[in-house]
Amino acid sequence: MAELENPSSMAVSAASGEASFSSSGVQNEPGELPPPKKKRNLPGMPDPDAEVIALSPKTLLATNRFVCEICNKGFQRDQNLQLHRRGHNLPWKLRQRTSKDIRKRVYVCPEPSCVHHNPSRALGDLTGIKKHFCRKHGEKKWKCERCSKKYAVQSDWKAHMKTCGTREYKCDCGTLFSRRDSFITHRAFCDALAEESARTRTLTIGEASEGNSNAKVAMASPPQPPLTPSTSVVSPALSIQSSVSENPIRLSPPSSNVKCLPATTVANSTPSCSTTVFASIFASSSAAPSQASSTLSSYSTMMSNLPCSDCPTTTPTLSAIEPTSLSLSPSLYLSNNDSSLFQDQRDPRHYTATPQPALSATALLQKAAQMGAAASNASLLRGLGLAPATSLAQNDSTPTQWNSCIKTENHPLPDDDGLMLGIPSAGNTGFANLMMGSSSFGGQPMTRDLLGLSIGGSGGGASVRGGLSALLTSFGGRFDVAGSSTGGRNAPAED
Amino acid sequence: MMSLSPSLGSPYPWLRELKSEERGLYLIHLLLTCTNHVASGNLENANMALEQISHLASPDGDTMQRIAAYFTEALADRILKAWPGLHKALNSTRLVMVSEEIMVRKLFFELFPFLKVAFVLTNQVIMEAMEGEKMVHIIDLNAAEPAQWIALLQVLSARPEGPPHLRITGVHQQKEILDQMAHKLIEEAEKLDIPFQFNPVVSKLENLDFDKLRVKTGEALAISSILQLHSLLTSDDEAMRRRTPLLTKCSNGSHLQRAVPMNQSSLGDLLEKDNRYSPSPDSASSSPASSIASMNMEGFLNALWGLSPKVMVVTEQDSNHNGSTLMERLLEALYSYAALFDCLESTVSRTSMERLKVEKMLFGEEIKNIVACEGAERKERHEKLDKWLQRLDLAGFGNVPLSYYGMLQARRLLQSYGCEGYKMREENGCVAICWQDRSLFSVSAWRPRK
Repeated sequence: MAELENPSSMAVSAASGEASFSSSGVQNEPGELPPPKKKRNLPGMPDPDAEVIALSPKTLLATNRFVCEICNKGFQRDQNLQLHRRGHNLPWKLRQRTSKDIRKRVYVCPEPSCVHHNPSRALGDLTGIKKHFCRKHGEKKWKCERCSKKYAVQSDWKAHMKTCGTREYKCDCGTLFSRRDSFITHRAFCDALAEESARTRTLTIGEASEGNSNAKVAMASPPQPPLTPSTSVVSPALSIQSSVSENPIRLSPPSSNVKCLPATTVANSTPSCSTTVFASIFASSSAAPSQASSTLSSYSTMMSNLPCSDCPTTTPTLSAIEPTSLSLSPSLYLSNNDSSLFQDQRDPRHYTATPQPALSATALLQKAAQMGAAASNASLLRGLGLAPATSLAQNDSTPTQWNSCIKTENHPLPDDDGLMLGIPSAGNTGFANLMMGSSSFGGQPMTRDLLGLSIGGSGGGASVRGGLSALLTSFGGRFDVAGSSTGGRNAPAED
Repeated sequence: MMSLSPSLGSPYPWLRELKSEERGLYLIHLLLTCTNHVASGNLENANMALEQISHLASPDGDTMQRIAAYFTEALADRILKAWPGLHKALNSTRLVMVSEEIMVRKLFFELFPFLKVAFVLTNQVIMEAMEGEKMVHIIDLNAAEPAQWIALLQVLSARPEGPPHLRITGVHQQKEILDQMAHKLIEEAEKLDIPFQFNPVVSKLENLDFDKLRVKTGEALAISSILQLHSLLTSDDEAMRRRTPLLTKCSNGSHLQRAVPMNQSSLGDLLEKDNRYSPSPDSASSSPASSIASMNMEGFLNALWGLSPKVMVVTEQDSNHNGSTLMERLLEALYSYAALFDCLESTVSRTSMERLKVEKMLFGEEIKNIVACEGAERKERHEKLDKWLQRLDLAGFGNVPLSYYGMLQARRLLQSYGCEGYKMREENGCVAICWQDRSLFSVSAWRPRK
């Protein structure tokens, strides 16, 4: 019986002499009997009625455990052995597997120093004991390419390969996570800091190790870091330098996969691969807006691990430091608490918003809106904030179908079709004067136009001049007046 | 330039003395004045405003001058539509060259980061959804820019489990563009040794025959829609108008009156506040045959839902250019396009031909569509993100928040662009890409809710 169950161990025992059988049920000392209904044993507590089998290491490691007793051919699986035995045309009696009495078997580890060597800690599953022996006491023959983790059991290795690199979360601050939940928790606290650091990049890179950054980021309210004073302009140069020097170290170990960042950052290679590949594709494919070109080239050359040194200050720090953001010191985060940094940061942005002496169009629109913000009772104009001046707010004359489109109920919109920007100040410019000048209009029904654009200004009826020519002549007359360029315009409504 | 009687000297000497800021403010004022006149049917006043503007605006001046140039062109176009014969005559010799269109699209892709960021986000969403999938099918509702899928191919080939079998179905109106895409993508796939297939579908979105997409049940499907969905709102408008007999009647009536344009009151009717008139008698609205085939938004979204995609990524303009009145739309458009023109001003030189082309052929045309067109002609019906959220939710889609990784990549891309004005922010799991404070484009991911 024992032979059939463990034929190889039989064969081996002669050679190794290690195998021992204790076929009687061993009463285990931690004597509580598991409830009879339970099929599965409590972990770590084998069935006291079980038969304890001790197999030799060779047995455990052997792959062809099942050996045909007739021809001594070995098989990995029992079923395969049975199939094979059929071929021997055994007489019926011998064909049966003699197992009248199926007893639960538990297995102990042959390694004396191992916890599971004790029968009371025997493992219930044959495959389990084999894997255990392999894992703990065996040679680690399987190695993960990406992260160099070694495994003795092939299935462990396969399971790892499925997840290695696919689900790595890396925070901006450089901390790596394999679990999504811990990553998200971290990010909630780290995010704000990470963003600030991404934008400023004006500090030198102090400590380079990720361990440091982790530890320091964990600090809730850090004291004034010694590096804060260096938020001045000098530091960008320094930070570029140190990042440049850092880069080769971090990124230099070449890897076979050209597309991905090399080995040291290989742990998070896949996501960052896509990062850099995506971004670099788009970065390098973009045309060169003049200021951005050098930056873009630096970004794509980042793939070859060497940011160019002559990039404009702000952006190359971003791109150069970007893969090595793990190496950025906590001082970046810490210094973000420093308000002066924030101010520094704001100015350049503010500056770039108005690159030319002229205001940007967006700024102009906002200014126009502000100027007209006073005394607006027209919802239409409220949109832009352009409203008639209070003097004209009579609105009693016939509302044209002006902006009844805008739901004003029966709120008559100003019949003043001129959208006064409401410049109250005395005109310092011709423009303002124009505005002021025409505010002298009384309640003209319709077309009183601030700028005198309307012909004959007055009400519906008179406004049709019948043709463009009349338009032009009336226009002409007025323009002489307008040409004077200082206030004192006649009310255009006459004529 | 001098449309006035030659006896006058330069009519507005003081205009030239205006400084840039004053001129800008003046232009804004004039634009709004003009819009008011147009909206109320006051042709003569509108004309005068346009005249004034013409002395100040210029397509190669500063930002405000450029914007004003395109807006006034749009306003003029709108006025002119009241004379359909005239309008057609003036547009009869317009050349539409596909190569120019392709080039302008390419310029938009290169001069701005918006498309790139959208691509990066879309691709990342697709990558994440297709983890472990061996066969992937992607439907691109506007297959014009190969760069997006080239990037995806490259990332897919680096997947730990190896690349999947990839099939991309590209929808576009022009066959040439699809051919080009096919060529580029197949080339790239061969280089990377990825089993790949490109199926072109030449069609307008509103006439899209979903069977042609050949979606197999149970396959891993991803849909990418970049700046396409809003044009389907046109059909919604059409449908609504047909349902309201009063409006239809009005439009018919004014059609007759249009032939006699000089009466101001009729003009007023035409350019009425409801702004629901059909600008030309033979627009799609009056020919029932074509409108039967075109789908409205609800139908289209339902059809997309019915394909059971694993994920759908929608990129849209994030501005409300679909207001019911001219003034509303013009105001919103002023802000949005001011931001877009500012982008260019900050990143490209004023003399750049590329910049001029984008401004004129892309933005100028959009502005014209928003301002001058109504009904079936008006395709650029941009809406704000919250409206899209509602709409997609109603159609049975649940929002999939964009992953941290995707946003990180997108942020890095924006930063690498080198211009501090570009910003990105997250709202409800979606991303809004902004210029300074003005949100311009939104990207969101969806999956059919069970």
